[in-house]
Amino acid sequence: MAEPLTGAQILCRALLDEGVDLLFGYPGGAIMPFYHALPEYPGLRHVLVRHEQAAAHAADGYARASGRPGVCVATSGPGATNLVTGIATAHMDNTPLVAITGQVPRAMIGRDAFQETDIIGITQPITKHSRLVEDVAELADAVHEVFAVAREGRPGPVVLDVPKDVQSQKHEYAGRPARGADDAREGLLGVPTPTAVVEAARLIARAERPLVMAGHGVILSGAYGELRELAERTGIPVISTLLGISGFPESHPLHLGMPGMHGEVHVNRAIQQADLIIGVGLRFDDRVTGNLAAFARGAKVIHIELDASEIGKNVPVAVGLVGDARAVLGLLLEAVPRRHCDDWRAEIESFVRPRVESFRGDLSPEGILEELEHETAGRCTVVSDVGQHQMWVAKLFRYQRPNTHITSGGLGTMGFAVPAAMGVALARPGEPVWAISGDGGFQMNMQEIATMVQEGIPVKMAIFNNGYLGMVRQWQQFFHGRRYSATPIWSPDYVRLAEAYGIAGYRVERADQVTGAVRAALAHDGPALVEFLIEQEANVFPMIPPGASLSEPIESEAVSV
Amino acid sequence: MMTPRAVTVLLEDRLITFNRAVGLIRRRNLPVRSIAVGPTVTPGVSRLTIMIHSDEATAERAVQHLQKVVGVREAAAFPARDGVTRELALVKVRARGDRYAELLDVVQLYHASVVDDNPEAAIVELTGSEAFVLSCIRALERFEILEVARSGAVALEAGVGEAARVPANV
Repeated sequence: MAEPLTGAQILCRALLDEGVDLLFGYPGGAIMPFYHALPEYPGLRHVLVRHEQAAAHAADGYARASGRPGVCVATSGPGATNLVTGIATAHMDNTPLVAITGQVPRAMIGRDAFQETDIIGITQPITKHSRLVEDVAELADAVHEVFAVAREGRPGPVVLDVPKDVQSQKHEYAGRPARGADDAREGLLGVPTPTAVVEAARLIARAERPLVMAGHGVILSGAYGELRELAERTGIPVISTLLGISGFPESHPLHLGMPGMHGEVHVNRAIQQADLIIGVGLRFDDRVTGNLAAFARGAKVIHIELDASEIGKNVPVAVGLVGDARAVLGLLLEAVPRRHCDDWRAEIESFVRPRVESFRGDLSPEGILEELEHETAGRCTVVSDVGQHQMWVAKLFRYQRPNTHITSGGLGTMGFAVPAAMGVALARPGEPVWAISGDGGFQMNMQEIATMVQEGIPVKMAIFNNGYLGMVRQWQQFFHGRRYSATPIWSPDYVRLAEAYGIAGYRVERADQVTGAVRAALAHDGPALVEFLIEQEANVFPMIPPGASLSEPIESEAVSV
Repeated sequence: MMTPRAVTVLLEDRLITFNRAVGLIRRRNLPVRSIAVGPTVTPGVSRLTIMIHSDEATAERAVQHLQKVVGVREAAAFPARDGVTRELALVKVRARGDRYAELLDVVQLYHASVVDDNPEAAIVELTGSEAFVLSCIRALERFEILEVARSGAVALEAGVGEAARVPANV
C-alpha cells in the first residue's frame, strides 16, 4: 500500500492526473493546507490573482482557448462568493470550469463559523454539479467526478468544496480510476435518429431560402470543417451568433454576419425571409431572435443541439437532431445532396445597406480594429468585454481562424475581458492576445495588471474610452429620453496607470496614431495598454429595440422611439 | 393541453440531490401543486413525485432538465389521468361527545378511519385522489378541524409505461 497522503496532497495528485498544470487562485484560512502542499507539486503552476472573480474569469478564458477545463481556487466565505460571477459566466456560456473552494472544518459547518458560506447552495443554480467532500476517502473520486462532469456533454462549471480538516486528513491515493459512477449519463448525449437525419436532408434539399445559424456548439465541438463542408456543398449562407463567431471564416463568400439585436440589417432580413433555418449548436437566445412571435415566421427550423432540453425551448422545431454538432453534421453530410442557392444569395445581396456612419471625427472603432487585424496579420485572439465595443469587436474584426473571438455572451459580464485574457494568453503562448474593454468594464478588473506583471503574462489591453457606460447611455438616448443617469464615468490617466504598474502604456487620440501605438504595444515584451479616446456619443447600429421583432431595426440617430 | 400531470423522479437519496432536483423545478418556474419524496425498495434511491398543472411540452422539458441533474437516475412524466394518484391526509378534529357518532358517519362514508381517539381530538386518516381528499376535508369542516397534514401526491403510470421499462425502476 502506498504511503498515506494528506487530503491536500491527494487533491494536487488528482489534479495532475486530470491533466491540470495551471491554477488561478487566492489563498486564505480554509484552503491553507492545500497551499501548504502546493509547492511539493511543481507541475501545478499557480497564478496569484488580485481578486477571486478574476481567478474564475481567467480559468474560464483558459478553458475557452484550450478546450480543457480551467481551474480556480479560493478560500471559504468571501473567497468563494467572489467566484460567483465567474462561475455564472461559465455556466451561461458552457465553459468547463472547476472551482475548488476551501470550507470551514466539518465540525464547524452549519454554525455560522468565521468565513463560512454555503457555497454549494449559493452556486447550485449556476453549476452543472457541485460536491462537498465529507471525508478524505471520497476526495479523489470527487475530483475525478467533477472534472468528468465539467467536460462531458454540454460543458459547464462545477464546484468542489473541501473542508479544511479534510485537506489535512490522511488517506491513500490510488490514482485516477476508470470512470464508473453515473456512466449512464453518457447515454443522455444521444444521437439523432436516422429518419430525422433523412428528413433534415430532405428539407435542406428542397428549401428555397435556407440559412445556417452557427452557434457556440460549432466551436465547442470543433465542427469547423463539417460546417464549411455543409455550406460549400449546398451554397447555404452562414450566420454566426455572438458566441459562434470565428466558427466560420469571415472572408468566405458564404459568410453573412451576426444576427439579432445588433445584427446587420441584411442578416436579420434574411432570417425573416428564410424558409429554412439550420441552427447548429445554439439555443435561440432572446438577443438573437428578438420578439419570438415574429421570429422567422416563414422558416422551418432544423435544430442540431447536444442538449435535448434546448430543442423546442424557444422556437418551434421541424426536425431536432440531438447530439454533438460535429458528429451530427458529419451524419448530415452523408445525406445532403449538392445544390446551390444562387438566387437566394443574390436576393440577400440586395438587402445589404451601406454601413451607417455612426462615428464623427476620424478615430473610429472600425479603423482601430482594422489596424489590429492588419498589424497582427489576423493572427491574434481577441477577448472582448461587454457593451458597445463588444458589438464593434464582434462585427468589425474579420475572424479567419477558429476560436479566436472570446467574449461573455450569455451572462454579459462586464469586467470579463482583462482577467479572461490572462487565461487565454497562458493557453496560447506566443500568440498576441488582445483584451478589448470599454472604460467601464476595464475599471472593474484593472487590478489584474498586477497579476500580469508578477506572472509575466503578456496581455495587450485596448480601452475604448468614450467617457460613458456607452451601451447604457445608448439605451438612455433611445428609450429613456436622453436622461444620462449615472452613465458618465471618469477614468484615471491610463498611461500613468500603466507607468505605475511598470507596463507600457499609450494614448491614441487621432487616427494617425493608431498604427504606431498598436505596433509599439505588440513589440513590447510583456503586458501593454493602449487607450483609444473615441467619440463620446457614438452608437451601435443597427439596433433592434428590446421586445421588437428582427424586422424593426433602428438604423440611425434620426429615429427615436 | 393544461392538465394535472405527474413528474416522477428516481434519484440518489441524498439531501443535496433532492435539493438540486427541487431547485431546478423552482428555477424553471414550474406550476407545482405538490411534492412528495420517499424511499424505494432499492437502498440509496428515493422516488420524488412532483404534481404539476401544465401542458405536455412543459412537463417533457422538466423531465429533460431533471435527467441532466447528477444523481438523478430516471425521470418521466405522464398525465394524472393515465395512472393512479394517491394522497394521504391526517386530519385532527375536535371530537365532542355529542357529535362523535356524526363524525364516525362521515369517516365511514369516506372509507376513512379514526387512527387516534384522544378524548379531546380525534385524528382521521384518509387516502385517495387529491379531489377525494379535498372533498373529505370539506365534509370534516362541519366539525372543528384543528390541524391537517397532507402528504402530497404519489403517482404511478398505469401499464408498462416508459418508466417501467428502465431497470432501475423501483
